[in-house]
Amino acid sequence: MKMMVGQGAGVQLPTRIDTDAVPKISLPELSSLKSLDTVAGGGGGSFQNLLGDLVKDVSRKQAVAGETVNGLLSGKNVSLHQAMISMEEASVSFQLMVEVRNKLLESYQELMRMQI
Amino acid sequence: MINLLTGIDSTAAALNAERIRMDVVSQNIANVNTTRGLDGKPYQRQQVIFDTVLRAQQAGNSAAQSVQIARIEADHRAPKMIYSPGHRDANPQGMVAMPNINIHEEMVDMIASSRTFEANLAVVKNARAMAMQTLSIGKR
Repeated sequence: MKMMVGQGAGVQLPTRIDTDAVPKISLPELSSLKSLDTVAGGGGGSFQNLLGDLVKDVSRKQAVAGETVNGLLSGKNVSLHQAMISMEEASVSFQLMVEVRNKLLESYQELMRMQI
Repeated sequence: MINLLTGIDSTAAALNAERIRMDVVSQNIANVNTTRGLDGKPYQRQQVIFDTVLRAQQAGNSAAQSVQIARIEADHRAPKMIYSPGHRDANPQGMVAMPNINIHEEMVDMIASSRTFEANLAVVKNARAMAMQTLSIGKR
């Protein structure tokens, strides 16, 4: 996740600096990072959007799981395994979200501890 | 949506198919003595036919091959004839046409079906365990 934070900062960099005054940096990694970010972000482009999408996705999965369990309990044509699988999917994606959050927080704290 | 448990769709379809197969087996066992079905003839053994369907996955991946019940069709073996002259459905010779169901066959089908179901459940469990173990990469 530290990588991803670096990636976000790396992309922000060119927009802030006046490109005429500063000689262009031609790091091959930088361009690849930028392309990575645009791919990951989809429409919006920023890492923030990516995180937002993840959270939305997890919430949608939870909603689907709730729906299938409701369907099962109210006697609709939902089978037991469908309900269980959707619950598992929701749980695994929630775990993923928690891991991402932990990593982000960890890298933030690492940065805050850095000696200047 | 993010797809964390890949391949689980095929497994879910297989679980569904096996459940339907189990329903058909239980229907056969329930009707083992039915001498007059809906059409007035003795009940005919039903069996399920599976076939493969292509399930489109997310862009970039090839389509996954999944399973579905193509149809439930009747087994056209001849009915078993037993001698029971007092029976309502006995023919002039006193023979009654009983359903062409062999209870042993049905039990074997049931075992096979439940084992297949179990195998698919193991796939689900394994997929979940793999995902959780992968998430534990980040743990210290």
